[in-house]
Amino acid sequence: MSNDLMTPDLDDTVEPGPSYPQFGTPMVLAGSVLVAASAFLSWSYDREPLGDVSITGNPAPTQYLALIIGVLGIVLFLGRGPLARFFSWFDETAALRGLGFGAVAFALAVILAIFANTSGLINVDPGGWILLVGSIALAFGAEQLPAGRTHADPLRSKTSSWTEILAIIALLTGVLFLAAYALAMEDGYAFLALLAFLGAISATLIRGGFFQWLSIATAKHRQVLMLGAVVVAFLFPFTQDGRDANMTIATQIIVFAITALGLNIVVGLAGLLDLGYIAFLGAGAYVSALLSGSATSHLGFQLPFWLTAIIGACVASTLGLIIGTPTLRVSGDYLAIVTLAFGEIFRITVNNLDGINGPSITNGPNGVSGIPELNLFGFDFGQPHTLGGFTLTRYANYYFLLLLLGAFVILVFTRLNNSRIGRGWVAIREDERAAEAMGVNVFGLKLFAFAGGAFLAGLAGTIKAHQDLAISPDQFVFLESAFLLAAIVLGGMGTVAGALVGATMLKLLPEKLRFLENYRLLMFGILLVLMMRFRPEGLVASKRRQLEFHEDDQELAEAIQVEHLETKEAQA
Amino acid sequence: MSTAVSHEMPAAPAAGREVVLDASGVIMRFGGLTAVDNVSMKVHDGEIVGLIGPNGAGKTTFFNCLTGMYIPTEGTVRLRGEVLPPKPSKVVKAGMARTFQNIRLFGNMTALENVMVGRYCRTSSMALTSIIRGPKFRREEEATRARAQELLDYVGLGKSAELLARNMPYGDQRRLEIARALATDPQVLLLDEPTAGMNPKETEEAMHLIFKIRDSGLAVIVIEHDMRFIFTLCDRVLCLVRGALLIEGSPQEVQSDPRVIEAYIGGDESQEEGE
Amino acid sequence: MQFLQQLLNGLTIGSLYALIAVGYTVVYGIVQLINFAHGEVFMIGAFGALATWSLLFKGTTAIWVLPIIILGAMLASVSVALLMERIAYRPLRNAPRLAPLITAIGISVILQEGVRLFYPEAKSSLSFPGIDIVTGPPIAIGGLDLRRSTIFIILALIVCAVGLWVFINRTKQGRAMLAVSQDPDTARLMGVNVDRTIAIAFALGALLAAVAGVAQGLHTRTVTFNMGFMAGLKAFTAAVLGGIGNIQGAVAGGLVLGVIEALATQYLGGATWANVWAFVLLIIVLVFWPQGLLGAKVVDRA
Repeated sequence: MSNDLMTPDLDDTVEPGPSYPQFGTPMVLAGSVLVAASAFLSWSYDREPLGDVSITGNPAPTQYLALIIGVLGIVLFLGRGPLARFFSWFDETAALRGLGFGAVAFALAVILAIFANTSGLINVDPGGWILLVGSIALAFGAEQLPAGRTHADPLRSKTSSWTEILAIIALLTGVLFLAAYALAMEDGYAFLALLAFLGAISATLIRGGFFQWLSIATAKHRQVLMLGAVVVAFLFPFTQDGRDANMTIATQIIVFAITALGLNIVVGLAGLLDLGYIAFLGAGAYVSALLSGSATSHLGFQLPFWLTAIIGACVASTLGLIIGTPTLRVSGDYLAIVTLAFGEIFRITVNNLDGINGPSITNGPNGVSGIPELNLFGFDFGQPHTLGGFTLTRYANYYFLLLLLGAFVILVFTRLNNSRIGRGWVAIREDERAAEAMGVNVFGLKLFAFAGGAFLAGLAGTIKAHQDLAISPDQFVFLESAFLLAAIVLGGMGTVAGALVGATMLKLLPEKLRFLENYRLLMFGILLVLMMRFRPEGLVASKRRQLEFHEDDQELAEAIQVEHLETKEAQA
Repeated sequence: MSTAVSHEMPAAPAAGREVVLDASGVIMRFGGLTAVDNVSMKVHDGEIVGLIGPNGAGKTTFFNCLTGMYIPTEGTVRLRGEVLPPKPSKVVKAGMARTFQNIRLFGNMTALENVMVGRYCRTSSMALTSIIRGPKFRREEEATRARAQELLDYVGLGKSAELLARNMPYGDQRRLEIARALATDPQVLLLDEPTAGMNPKETEEAMHLIFKIRDSGLAVIVIEHDMRFIFTLCDRVLCLVRGALLIEGSPQEVQSDPRVIEAYIGGDESQEEGE
Repeated sequence: MQFLQQLLNGLTIGSLYALIAVGYTVVYGIVQLINFAHGEVFMIGAFGALATWSLLFKGTTAIWVLPIIILGAMLASVSVALLMERIAYRPLRNAPRLAPLITAIGISVILQEGVRLFYPEAKSSLSFPGIDIVTGPPIAIGGLDLRRSTIFIILALIVCAVGLWVFINRTKQGRAMLAVSQDPDTARLMGVNVDRTIAIAFALGALLAAVAGVAQGLHTRTVTFNMGFMAGLKAFTAAVLGGIGNIQGAVAGGLVLGVIEALATQYLGGATWANVWAFVLLIIVLVFWPQGLLGAKVVDRA
């Protein structure tokens, strides 16, 4: 019986062939060459857009991206014929189709940049149009190509461990350089073009089956991946050479990502919706701000950081327990509203404890300012330090501390997920009453999810207070909770990578796409609606979560089954 | 009794065995409706007890009362003399496990994971142990996994361990549910229509499985509509009608009792599955 | 006297809550969906009225303008509500419940931002036109200050509630709504157009929210793009308080919540804490008394 699932029948799925197969080859070739060639032409009459793309024969950085796309197109095309032996399991035809769409997006981003930065389309030089025409030809041609040779299944490909490890290392190195390069960009439109380029490359790799191969490779070499990721994250501040602009963003991203991971325990693992989660970050931040001898704290304490961190996390955790208690009787939408109400109560209360409307504790709307810099074991986080000739600013100092906390949170998240407790959570998500009837302590596990997630968020809050030097109630409004939730929804529920990707996107994009600043929230809303409609499980979803959101999709279930079995096999 | 299934050992007379489950005077009212009306039953170790009755007779409600999903309006349920706590997860821990009439597996988990969830109440790793992952944690995980695989082998699903529950054939899902219930190390196993929707061959296999479970010393309570199945399988049969206990006795006694026949024919002509 | 004055204030604000709460309850009763963006429908109503007035009658304060700006408000609210039902909610009808809730948050943000960005000068609060008879000087009765807008709001609630009751119990379409709320599948088999019925539920909620938007505008004389968030939350509280899915309950819940809030403002720490008490009430009701004052339509989806 079960064997049927593992050998998909190829015969009974007859795809309609392309309408104009005779155009496929010439158009792909011509398109790729045009895109590559356009890199050496002038794209814009004006020198303003994209860091001067107006010089013929001397490509600007963005133009090199076009060159890469074009060359990639040619190489993939050759993969269909002369280079076929290098593409044993990589489906170059599907990859070309992905590349084609990406190339069009890239070309449109370029044209948009020129249009927006100058007085109109009149400023687009022939090179720009050639890029657009070439990419459209590539996209159209790729669609018309007849399906390529049959390929080995990427999941069953026999590649040596060394190749896989090298691929992982190369990928991580690429991420590091890309991050440094992308963050250094000042021009929002150039950044947009880069995003389109990355989209094109990802589409190519995904369609070609590279990511499937990679996911098995990373599953086999987890340690390499983890170690590599830690090294890359550790090296990042050294690429910044004492500049603060990007380190500020980076620290914000980590605080946000840690909180999102905490929330992901509640939402992604235990399946409970929490719309007031920012309150936990706030509780941690307020506790640490008030107890660490801030200039405007009325409490007059000055406790060491390790103690405020523990107190802050415990206070947040206690709040988590209180907020979690209703889960005994309330679930679903009602629970979401209860948590939202708790979040608002926290914000209003903090706002009111100003000595006028309530006891004088938090300075009300003005918040607590003058929070001292951290000083651990004689290491002053407020001062720049040099290490091996590199200057590390105060933000870099906090970055390292946050990185440590982030690593801890990831450890907690993955280990809890792969344990008896994690299985209990999945069972609760799947069928709460059946879980209870199978001996799972449903209420206890839900409470633990709330308390544990809150603990981590509170811990992040205690550092955030010191890093920002000031906090106020308006940092902890409902919209922030919605952002946190969106980070998970966008990235993927129940996965570490999902929370990280989501947090990075939601914090980084607004910073880099400044020209959209006014429309930031509008975009955010549209993104939420579109994601729920078309990919509710998020970009990097766990397989299980993906299935939960597509309960009636039997094909997907079987596809995931096959992949699961083969991953097991590869690991064994 | 053993005529129909000659290759199975007949159960020893109940009298010589210890009472494991003792429900006395269970009453369950919903508003004005009395769904279970003063039902008492005793179950002994290694005994298979059948629970029959026309649709809506309150069989599943009675099950829910036994397993703590409902708190009976009156009456007590004792397991080995201890009154059961009014919470399903604690009832399971005390030693009573069940399956569901409409299969309630965790569809997006693999078969093995489903059974591992059943081990939840017999394992103890909490948060800190799970995060630190000391030798004790790893031993327990290993033991859980091994026990789950063993149970899958036991019910004949050893090869399906890595299949998602939702992808499994119907009959296998029923057996997986039994494996999951067995994983909680129960003393009493409650099966709610274990053969509903099965073909004759699958039904036959299910019967052998239940005998095997009985022979390992567990008490089994079965709700069934398939009369041939229940009269072959059970040592004792209880018939519920409109929430009340109509008759209790050996399969032969119950089968030949005119009131039972009348209850089925008069109350509800069809014997379709599902209530 | 202070007490009576607060009671009056409470009834006024409570009537507004009630008008909005009906929208939550009607939609929930039919599709078991908490339309989180309903507060924004109310806000759109207020802006629709303002836009109608600015375009057609700028400077007029006569009473005959009122029905027309109410119509404008209704047009805006109903089209937005129908649009979001069609585009965002309908495709998710069989999705896990998390999906529509997050969609609702998204829509909420889109509507707020849409108004803030594209309605002229809506980045700060805008002043709402006055209508002489409704916004004129308060009437003094005994020691009480009876604002004219209070009378208007309470009247509006009565008219809307009666109208709704008649629609649901006396028309074919209303009975179809009842049928769908009982059992959508059977209703479909009986020839009820379920999609249309659900759309009508959204439209009905929007109609009342539009009236509430106009009433709120006349009462406070200002409108802001984010006025829907808090009002929506409070109205949801009211709907739950009365028993969600129950229309009489929503009205009763709104009035009770308004009065409690007004009295809390007077006796429990002032206006800055009033919202806290409202939320505490919400949590208590949800946790200990989820069926509410008049009993909710309880759907066991487990």
